[in-house]
Amino acid sequence: MKKIVLTIFALSLVFSSCEFDKGFEEMNVNPAKAAQIDVANKFASVVLRTSGGRYENWRASLIYQSVMIQHFSATAGYWSGDRYFRNDGYATSLWDRYYPSAVKEIEDIKAQLTASGNSGSEMGMTRILRVFIYSRITDLHGDCPYSEAGQGYINGILKPKYDAQKDIYADFLKELEEAVAQIGSSTTMGKSDLIFQGDTAKWKAWGNSMMLRLAMRMSKVDAANSKAWAVKAIGNGTMTSNAHIAMIAHTDGPEGINKNGHGEVFDADGNPRMSKTFVDWLKDDPRLPILAARRSDKSTAIADLIGMPNGSTSATVPDTSIYAEPNRAVITHKDVPMVLQTYAEVEFMKAEAAQRGWISGSAATHYNNGVKAAMQMLSQIYPNAAAITDAQVTAYLALKPYDATKGLQMIGEQYWAATLLNEYEAFSNWRRTGFPVLVPTNDPGNVTGGTIPRRLIWPMGEESTNADNYKAAVAAQGPNDFTTRVWWDKL
Amino acid sequence: MKTKFLRILTSFLLVFAFGFSVQAQTISGTVTDENGVPLPGATVLVEGTSTGVSTDFDGNYSIDASSGDTLVFSFVGYASQSIVVGSSATVNAVLTPDTALEEVVVTSLGIKRNVKALGYSLTVVDGSELSDNKTTNAINALQGKVAGVMVTGSAAGAKGSSRVVIRGTSSLTGNNQPLYVVDGITINNSNLGSAGVWGGADYGDGISSINPDEIASVSVLKGGAAAALYGSRASNGVILITTKNGAGQEGIGIEFNSSTQFDMLNTGLRDTQTIYGQGRDNSKVSDPIDTYQAWGPKMDGSMVAQWDGVARKYSNKGSNLEKFYQTGETYTNTIAISTSNENSNTRFSMTNMDNLDIIPNSTLKRNSFGLNSSQKLGDKITVDVNMKYILEDQEGNPRLSDSPGNGNFAVNLFAPTVDVNDMLGEGGLGRNADLTEFRISDNTYSQNPWFAAYNYVNSSEKERFIGAINARWDIKDYLYVRGRVGGDRYDLHKTGVTPWGTAYQMNGSMNENKSTFQQYDADFFIGTDNLELDTDVSLTAFVGIGSNVQEYNSAGVSGSHFIVPGLQNVKNTKNQGSGWSYWKKQINSAYGSAEIGFMDYAYLTLTARNDWYSTLSLKDKKAPNNDLYTSASLSFILSDALDLGSSVSFLKLRGGYSQVAGGADSPYALSLSYGIYGQGHLGASLGSISGGTIPNSEITPFEKNETEFGIDLRMFDNKLSIDATYYDNETLGDIVGVSASATSGYGSALANLGNISNKGIELLIKGTLMQSDDFAWNASINYTNNTSKVVATNDTGGNISMQEPRSRNLRVTHIVGEKYGALYGSSYVRDASGAIVHQMVNGIPIPKIGPRKILGFGVAPTQLGIGTSMRYKDFNASILFEGKTGGQIYSGSNAFLIRNGHHKKTVPAGGRDAGWVPTGVMEDGSKVTTSIPANQQEDYYRRTYSIAEEAIFDSDYMRLRQLSIGYNIPSDKLDGTFIDKATISLIGRNLFFLSNSVDNIDPESAYNNSNSAGLEWFGLPVPRTIGLNVNLKF
Repeated sequence: MKKIVLTIFALSLVFSSCEFDKGFEEMNVNPAKAAQIDVANKFASVVLRTSGGRYENWRASLIYQSVMIQHFSATAGYWSGDRYFRNDGYATSLWDRYYPSAVKEIEDIKAQLTASGNSGSEMGMTRILRVFIYSRITDLHGDCPYSEAGQGYINGILKPKYDAQKDIYADFLKELEEAVAQIGSSTTMGKSDLIFQGDTAKWKAWGNSMMLRLAMRMSKVDAANSKAWAVKAIGNGTMTSNAHIAMIAHTDGPEGINKNGHGEVFDADGNPRMSKTFVDWLKDDPRLPILAARRSDKSTAIADLIGMPNGSTSATVPDTSIYAEPNRAVITHKDVPMVLQTYAEVEFMKAEAAQRGWISGSAATHYNNGVKAAMQMLSQIYPNAAAITDAQVTAYLALKPYDATKGLQMIGEQYWAATLLNEYEAFSNWRRTGFPVLVPTNDPGNVTGGTIPRRLIWPMGEESTNADNYKAAVAAQGPNDFTTRVWWDKL
Repeated sequence: MKTKFLRILTSFLLVFAFGFSVQAQTISGTVTDENGVPLPGATVLVEGTSTGVSTDFDGNYSIDASSGDTLVFSFVGYASQSIVVGSSATVNAVLTPDTALEEVVVTSLGIKRNVKALGYSLTVVDGSELSDNKTTNAINALQGKVAGVMVTGSAAGAKGSSRVVIRGTSSLTGNNQPLYVVDGITINNSNLGSAGVWGGADYGDGISSINPDEIASVSVLKGGAAAALYGSRASNGVILITTKNGAGQEGIGIEFNSSTQFDMLNTGLRDTQTIYGQGRDNSKVSDPIDTYQAWGPKMDGSMVAQWDGVARKYSNKGSNLEKFYQTGETYTNTIAISTSNENSNTRFSMTNMDNLDIIPNSTLKRNSFGLNSSQKLGDKITVDVNMKYILEDQEGNPRLSDSPGNGNFAVNLFAPTVDVNDMLGEGGLGRNADLTEFRISDNTYSQNPWFAAYNYVNSSEKERFIGAINARWDIKDYLYVRGRVGGDRYDLHKTGVTPWGTAYQMNGSMNENKSTFQQYDADFFIGTDNLELDTDVSLTAFVGIGSNVQEYNSAGVSGSHFIVPGLQNVKNTKNQGSGWSYWKKQINSAYGSAEIGFMDYAYLTLTARNDWYSTLSLKDKKAPNNDLYTSASLSFILSDALDLGSSVSFLKLRGGYSQVAGGADSPYALSLSYGIYGQGHLGASLGSISGGTIPNSEITPFEKNETEFGIDLRMFDNKLSIDATYYDNETLGDIVGVSASATSGYGSALANLGNISNKGIELLIKGTLMQSDDFAWNASINYTNNTSKVVATNDTGGNISMQEPRSRNLRVTHIVGEKYGALYGSSYVRDASGAIVHQMVNGIPIPKIGPRKILGFGVAPTQLGIGTSMRYKDFNASILFEGKTGGQIYSGSNAFLIRNGHHKKTVPAGGRDAGWVPTGVMEDGSKVTTSIPANQQEDYYRRTYSIAEEAIFDSDYMRLRQLSIGYNIPSDKLDGTFIDKATISLIGRNLFFLSNSVDNIDPESAYNNSNSAGLEWFGLPVPRTIGLNVNLKF
């Protein structure tokens, strides 16, 4: 009995003296993760996120924009952009993927650099890339979260407000100007700079070229500012050769993140054909057999290359294999680079500025430089592409010399051809300039009243997860449909 | 606070530990039943002392006691009797059977308690209910049997997991399934893989590997009062499973059970049009991307080139489902050996289960071994050992939801003129001789279903051990100490292969993952049973401490781009990757319970428990990492306190209030972390923020409060019994992932802001309709109604977004003020009278797409089970109808069947050719009068596909859930054989629907068992089952 009493007494002492959470704080630290990592690792990641995965490159880039802009055409019903159908998930795919990856990561990098007092090249590069990321989103959708975006953890903002595109553009231009100014002669990013491999001069040229792009974007809505910033950008030093092209190198694996997202799409989807609009325009153009091949037998003989009309259906075109498709021997690979901006585009923008009288110099010269760069960059971007010789360029220019009376159209069409597989840019520039002049498709199921979309819609999910800001954005910009024009597209 | 409570309770027990010794003489006698039959193993106790003995085989006992002592005689199933020792040295006792009043049930922590003292609702289901009409996932056999318990099947086939929810969901986004306790040990019930919006396969859950043949009984602790002692993990109720032991077996007994079941496609479900063939816009097209489209003209028997260029008759090829799905087979064989004597009992069993599912090439094999042993070491110490060892192989787990690898998708959608048997390819495996997919479409994601079934690998091998040692030391007859340690560990090896030659991924890919989960529980407690504090006041109490540790470790390798076609080895891939994940968490607890009985008709039970969580511990955290919760319940046996007349056999009123904490399941959720991912790119390493949820360092557990009242009435000598319960619970401070706009960079943020309530009724009525020696007829009805309400989601009352189906035009959403899990999706625009508003597009009226709104709720609130059983001589039969009502489902299969012109609604009354005028109004309010010609009707339904409302159905049904007809071979016919007992029975499950409000599919066809109930998208059809069961005892 005495033993029992003692035992129980001892146990009650044990019970009451237990420290019930001993070691718990140590246990709750994840041994598989880090509390912080080097900014260079993050930078390499965000560059690949910017290039994008198969998901958004399939949907936003190809299924919508590439066929809307009539680079390509497709009969399959899910290629919603060809006949202007509504598919929410496809239309919002860039937004859905960019905000939780590229945007989140670039804001995290910026916050880390800010916290560590970095105000040099790394910060400048980060700010340029950040502008590029948001410019894709705002150009495609219009007003969008910008000043408060990607800061769910940093500032606890769960429901970012939508900034007016006008304000976003003003900040873009300021950011680019400051960013270029703070880039020095070297960077610690090294191999993690997957765009220019640490060449800060090229970063400066790209920063200024982006400034020119965004400046030109405003030509319709705010010509004065457009001109002022374009002149400034050109004065500060834009890209001067194809060596300056901003592009992200890819490899065919080992994982999806490493691959060119467009290449992954072409691997999985046999639907896209070259648009009749585009192939017809490429008549007599040495680029045609590089970019296109007949679906059925891969022939690149000019006579075999016929574009499929946009708006075709399986009823009107029972056999699509007679048409040309993106040349699978050259441009559809998963290890080709993803192009963000080219020197050719810069020359075309300069040509336009000259044509408009904003800068001195010859529009024709810039136009010719642009055409030459656009043709000769193909063998640089696509290793399997035959090089286009100076003689071929000269011959082409002789056939289609610059004609100032329809200068803006010629420039716009060349810009359109040069931005194949940079569909975001092609779609934006078409909306701004109206060139090339495209004939819309008119399928019974279209949601645009038979007109080419002027934007892609915001995700309907925002209606519930960010209701107040979404409503305010609809009130400010207009109905969330495909025909509402973004700020710089307003007439 | 906590320790203070413990000190008081411990001291309390100490007082009673001071027993005093007695002067004794030897008293002996015999214990018999009312017919004079000796009762072996009856307990004889000297009241108020530790002295106690058991009767021998002939009911005899002898015990040391003094004159004036009270001897208490008790035997399970009989009313105990007290006799005061007089001058005689012989005291005989005659015990009379107890009429249900002394039912003993297993409650929290394995404590056996008298039913009448329980102040809460507890339902016990006999193991035979799960083993006689067994399901591959044992818990599915509970469907429709227990009021308050909703078991929802899924469209994942035999290997699938199931969803069990007791008294409504208590967490908005966290785990809502109950805690499973097997032989006193908590077991893991994690989902081992399931399908989502982008597809995937179901690999079952933790409970699915428990062997139904070994289950002796299942106790369902529904409410907080019942579960409070299990702490936070029991916030959704507890299902206690007790497996069979060897008690009562004389000598050595051998039992053999064999069951054969056949699963068949329920051909009565699918009812689609068989008039129009493959085509678009009312014309026959043979474009290989359109095999799914049934928008062609009327089938006319002409020869038309099909997807493969081969011309075939343009006629109905019959049911592709019947051609593709096969008869499933399940063979279960169990052999069990048991033995017992007065000091020990042991049972060992082996079960082999072999299942072939209805989708080709899909198998499940399970070998289960069980050993239960109970030993008495002397008079005072009992040691129980329970062990289970389970080996499970799964192969060909069907992919569900989105189309990649999902054969169910394509086979449901082929136009009537398309025959799936034309797609068999080389060797019937859906491929070409060079191993590439035998393509049926230009769209690489339109997959050959045979290729999906025979060439993909989705398999797992699992090895699981569950073991426990329980020891009890009866220090005194009123004081005991118990200790228990147990563990559940599994090693899982999963393999997934997208084969080389797959159209959408020509070079293929694969992954292999090995994971180990282990959890250990240890508990130690001291307590007292039925201690008489006063003549009329008794105390049953204990205090204890416990600890639960869980650890998970997983390593995987993956590769893409096979080098040698057909060789499925990660080393045979060009791009290889690997990954590792690990977590560990622990909960420590201190708890106590006291049941105070008064006059044997009133009982008050108080419990308290404090849990400390590693998952809530962080350096410099301000909010507590632990929580205390208590419960009180009262049971009042009115029929004992008052004379209610002879018709009332028993009447108990009960009520209780409880608190239980919960949530906080995820380790490492309090701070942001980063990881390096992938294998780098061109020499650079890739790193980023891990996870899409914004962490919150100040998280605390949620608190769930519940009030319940109940009545237990038994009348007419227990021939009619009614058990009714009303409960009302509320979860406060639920840890929710507050919806964040994706533009914040994250999907959600953690916060203690959720608040959800449930109110409900549970009703069980049982009746004996007829009873004689030869004939008995019983019936029972159980009814459940639960009303849930989302009271709060976050600071702004915003919606919480859950999963969405592949069409992405709807999302399961928690909306303040509404029931749990609204189906929130795009709607029709309707005028004031409810008519659908159309707009003119290219000359035809097409419905306008309206905003997202609440279209239904995925969780059915009401369940009804109606069962009856009959016995005539050696025959018996039972039948169970089960139904649910009040819920809705978004049926992706129907959405597609409508869009692609299969659904009967796409054929207007006068046929397509005559044109069709949709019902509804135009934007100006005028009635739609424009007729849509045959070649544009497709455009109409392409639009309605975007409108989620089109595919919302009520998920109401009433079905024959199970049927069994059995025959016990009379023992006289077995004389002279070595068989002691033989039973043979025919069983059936899901045989037919009395009603089904969903077109073409079983209403219980969700593709996963998550909180996002009500999403269906091309799962495996739920089959009909028939079977034969043979049980032999030697």
